[in-house]
Amino acid sequence: MSAAPTPSCHESGAVATAGPDAAVVALAGTPNVGKSSLFNTVTGARRTVGNWPGTTVEVGRGAWDLGGDPARRVTLVDLPGAYSLDAMSPDEEVTRGVVLAQGEEAPSAVVVVTSAAHLARGLYLVAQLRERTIPVVVALTMLDVAQRRGLDTDAAVLADELGCPVVALDPRRRRGGGQLAAAVQAALVRGPLEPRHTPPTSESEPAGDELALADERFSWIARAVERAQRHAGGARRTFSDRVDRWATAPVVGPLLFLAVMWAVFQVTTVVAAPLQDALDSFFAGPVADGADRLLAWVGLGESPVRGFVVDGLIAGVGMLLTFVPLMALMFLLLAVLEDSGYMARAAVVTDRLMGRLGLPGRAFLPLVVGFGCNVPAIAATRILSQARHRLLTALLVPFTSCTARLTVYVLLATTFFPEHAGSVVFAMYLLSIVLVVLVGLLLRGVLWRALGAEPLVLDLPPYQRPTARLSLAVTWLRLKGFLRTASGIIVATVVIVWFLQSVPAPGAAGTFGAVPVEDSVYAAIARSIAPVLAPAGFGEWQTVSALIVGFIAKEAVISSWAQTYALAEPSSEREPGVLGQQLLETFTASSGGHAGVAVLAFMVFLLAYTPCVATLAAQRREIGLRWTAAGVAMQLAVAYVLAVAVFQVGRLLW
Amino acid sequence: MSAESRPVTAVLAALQGGARSLAEVAERTGLGRDVVDAAITHLVRLGRLEAEELAIGCPSAGCGGCASGTAEGTAGCRSSAPSTRRSGPVLVALRVSRPPG
Repeated sequence: MSAAPTPSCHESGAVATAGPDAAVVALAGTPNVGKSSLFNTVTGARRTVGNWPGTTVEVGRGAWDLGGDPARRVTLVDLPGAYSLDAMSPDEEVTRGVVLAQGEEAPSAVVVVTSAAHLARGLYLVAQLRERTIPVVVALTMLDVAQRRGLDTDAAVLADELGCPVVALDPRRRRGGGQLAAAVQAALVRGPLEPRHTPPTSESEPAGDELALADERFSWIARAVERAQRHAGGARRTFSDRVDRWATAPVVGPLLFLAVMWAVFQVTTVVAAPLQDALDSFFAGPVADGADRLLAWVGLGESPVRGFVVDGLIAGVGMLLTFVPLMALMFLLLAVLEDSGYMARAAVVTDRLMGRLGLPGRAFLPLVVGFGCNVPAIAATRILSQARHRLLTALLVPFTSCTARLTVYVLLATTFFPEHAGSVVFAMYLLSIVLVVLVGLLLRGVLWRALGAEPLVLDLPPYQRPTARLSLAVTWLRLKGFLRTASGIIVATVVIVWFLQSVPAPGAAGTFGAVPVEDSVYAAIARSIAPVLAPAGFGEWQTVSALIVGFIAKEAVISSWAQTYALAEPSSEREPGVLGQQLLETFTASSGGHAGVAVLAFMVFLLAYTPCVATLAAQRREIGLRWTAAGVAMQLAVAYVLAVAVFQVGRLLW
Repeated sequence: MSAESRPVTAVLAALQGGARSLAEVAERTGLGRDVVDAAITHLVRLGRLEAEELAIGCPSAGCGGCASGTAEGTAGCRSSAPSTRRSGPVLVALRVSRPPG
């Protein structure tokens, strides 16, 4: 026997080999089990590193002193990570080549490093090696990680089951190296092992028998793991398992998910309401008054600049900022749910529901993302492997209710349904899910009759106590993202809306900046479309103009309303919270006295029609212009039909 | 069929039977979670299961900045299994492969 083939380059350390006549011991194991740490510990990090001949795979070699006697020095070969001797990668090919080498090239023993935290996975290689006569020693690492998971491993019992020595060690703390050296020395002295089982050779093995062979090996592995590893306290069912019996149950799971989401919106709207009112008073009062006085002092009190700054920027941006406590609270609650591990259960529940309806199972991920923002959700459809699944999901994402739409729901729900605001907002989210499912089924039936659902298997992480640091960091990150996007969009739309509101409509009296808003180009454009929306109960130009602005971005709907009503009313008469009253008057006028039903129809329209131009840009990138245009037509049609239905049926009942 | 004597076949049957989480597979087969996990890894290697890592969108730094990217900085998403560079937990979708032909 001799040393393994000489690596080509890179010598590090002083003495790296044990000499040409020394025995060769191969160090094998699955990736990331602490193999290199063990190699460095026992060889003192003196190694040569080079590419295995004919490959680009790196192999380390070092001298390992097994017992203070130079005669007991062996050459340890640090092989690349390999799960099995049935090579599927260049790394595994090298491991297989070294371990199964015959004649002079053959190693004298193999040390298999195995993690106690993933014992079964690491034992497959041992199962294969134990079908041969080569001496094997198992080095058991990561016992601390296994213990934290409640797994106690008995190395002696494992050794009995595997029929080879097992040494528990901790290479990161340099413990157990001496015992391992002694075990390897003993194995070298003892010589070949009795094989545990003789499998058919891989060359003669029919393809259909590979499963039988795997069954035999895993049966042996399962028995060894069952006997050598115990769950601490004997409790195999963890707290997470007990909770998951209900949280992922077919009927209780979805009901629990809906209850949790309802509680989130209820807490959000109730707790944030006083803070929102206080901020509203602050922007409508001291901030607007201060800006008024400042502009009057510099001589711009009656100029168009005043309209832009006070009625545009302060009214629009101020209105957005009143939603900061609400958004922060909702992001915080969702972050806590994610950090606790519950959201992974929600994914299982959602997936099961979608799977039953015949939708692509994994499409739940982009759809869940869509409830935050539709733009990254469209990009996330790339996780779907089939083009038709990506197309269908990208067409459904706009029906998921993003956080920008939430601000409008909250304003309208707290104004028109103050006693049930949380429930109304929750109902909008429920409707959003229903729309996704119904439109999904419709498209599936129309576009493809045989759209198979793909199964999803999740390894659910254990429940854990949410950490304040992580939850707050996630909340801040999302809030910052929302504010950055929203503020940019709002400033841009405020400028456009201000400009259109400052220009007199053809035939109207007045000059630029000195025209009543109802006589502006802005109102004229909205009035030309308003009759179309009259059957839905919101055919007033103030409402229609907000929907036009909302086509650009939903974040700007409220700011455009604030701008419109601020211009319509002298600042001296403005009071905090008055926007709601003005909206009430508008909806009452457009609905013939059925303001509540008209608001519900408006909210449904807002939910279903095109989310924003950024989503359209993302859709165009992912599914092309033709499908994007078809999607817009579908969204407008669904929104219009639903809104008209809600108003026409609602006004008969209410 | 006994899961003790044919654990890999039992895991495959549980997945074909609609089990949707590793916990559910473990419950149906009576095998330990660790053995189920290893058996699934093996079934993926045998080509009996197809595994695909799920990720939400791409990082702005591109594949080089993604935990799922390959060591060469190329895309690791939609590959047959998660990148070996990945150290944290990953979300993987598994699909029972259709027999050839």
